[in-house]
Amino acid sequence: MNRTLRGKVAIVGVGQSPSGRVPGRSPLDLTADATLKALADAGMRKSEIDGVITGSSFASSFHRFSVALSEYLNIQPSFSNTLQVSGATAAAAVNTAAAAISAGLADTVLVACGDSLLTGMTPDLAIRAMTESRDQQYEMPFGIPVANTFAMTAHRHMKEFGTTPEQLAKVAVTFREHAARTPGAQKTAPITIDDVLNSKMVTTPYHKLDCSLISDGGVALILTSAEKAYDYAQDPIFILGGGEYYSHEHIFLMPELTQTGAVQSAQKAYDMAGVSATDMDVAGIYDCFTGTLLMMLEDLGFCKKGEAGPFVEAGEITYGGSIPTNTHGGMLSYAHPGIPAAWYHFAEVTKQLRHSCGERQVQGAELGLVHALGAGFSTQATTILGRESTL
Amino acid sequence: MTEQALKKPYPIADGDSQVYWDGIKDGKLMLQHCTDCGHVQYYQQRLCRLCQSDNLVHKQASGKGVIYSYSVVHRAPGPAFIKDVPYAVLLVTLAEGPRMISSLVGKDFEALDFDKPVTLQIVQISDDVYLPCFSLVS
Repeated sequence: MNRTLRGKVAIVGVGQSPSGRVPGRSPLDLTADATLKALADAGMRKSEIDGVITGSSFASSFHRFSVALSEYLNIQPSFSNTLQVSGATAAAAVNTAAAAISAGLADTVLVACGDSLLTGMTPDLAIRAMTESRDQQYEMPFGIPVANTFAMTAHRHMKEFGTTPEQLAKVAVTFREHAARTPGAQKTAPITIDDVLNSKMVTTPYHKLDCSLISDGGVALILTSAEKAYDYAQDPIFILGGGEYYSHEHIFLMPELTQTGAVQSAQKAYDMAGVSATDMDVAGIYDCFTGTLLMMLEDLGFCKKGEAGPFVEAGEITYGGSIPTNTHGGMLSYAHPGIPAAWYHFAEVTKQLRHSCGERQVQGAELGLVHALGAGFSTQATTILGRESTL
Repeated sequence: MTEQALKKPYPIADGDSQVYWDGIKDGKLMLQHCTDCGHVQYYQQRLCRLCQSDNLVHKQASGKGVIYSYSVVHRAPGPAFIKDVPYAVLLVTLAEGPRMISSLVGKDFEALDFDKPVTLQIVQISDDVYLPCFSLVS
């Protein structure tokens, strides 16, 4: 039996609440707002949703966020899942929704998440909430923020491959340029490599501008079966492959700091889709820190191990380069409301593949990749998306 | 909420880790050795992570290690650590093999480097809480 997700499910609706600084809006409100916009985008009635998958929300007290969201919207789904694999949740949720639809558990699944990390919590509490995701016995007593786990991997990468602070900074500069073209981006003022290097040190080697933003916002995707996908208003964007990999929980049990489970996660997704990294036209890659993005370029197969620094310096992750990445500006410049962050990567890659990105359109984009990860590279999830022409 | 945020996360031993934290209080870093496959593990649990045998014995570690990676924290992860910054978090490879997260005793960050030898120094952080930290070998 050939078990695959390839071409069985498509994204037919995308919606986003206002993002950035959005005071006075609860996580459920932001997520519901995004959902109504996704329904409008698809030209779909709410009653057609019979499955709901969400991430969890730091500023919300609901443990079963997917169930609470359903009640908020007065939806009674026959499939519901509040997924928690940290930053990887977005891609894991899309993969799971596609699996649920192709297995007949649901016909049309809302995949949504929202949080108000910026105004719903104080910045200290937002960081603390993230920090508490580290182990309370063997990690947190030493005051290790989640940023620190990513910092130590980047630091080791610099040591082993000669990656420079300037090369890390180039990622932030590039995504700021992308954000400047994206309506609704939180940070649009141009920055230089010197601006990044002169910004306050957070945890070496990361300066403030090497770190993602803290934001409010919600994003919703609507997935349905390939059979139904043509009933709606937009070009369906198909799920061609999905892969995940969970290599460790504690950072000290990560086998090597400079190679991550993204290698295995992406390989599974590429194999299912029948494509390779060089086939990708556009990418949305989790960019919680500049060094994270560099390491992912290597592990996802866009350049060789150790060569991501020069790759980024050469302009390969922007327009005209080999893999235009995070054309919305990513978590570094568009928005980072926590778990919902990689939902924006899905929204952007989907819009790129619909050819609806206007002045920031990557010409002729047919195939795209979204990769999400979390918890100091513990959790990895990849999804390959494509237009009808790629089926 | 604010009071909670000001509280440092102190380790609370569970069934798997009681021997480990008792050892730390006694000034010893205990590692689990599997008598079936020879695997040495940190942190403590009932089964060997390599072969799932439960024939594990605790042995005191030498306390010697080298720095695999590190990061100097300038922005505290929450109010509880504001008084401590800057401080260095270390990822130490122990002489026995396992790696562990720890922190540097002192603030000689200029002297930090990859692969530098460090030695265990157990630090008392409250009345009855002790942490396994490391100092640079001079």
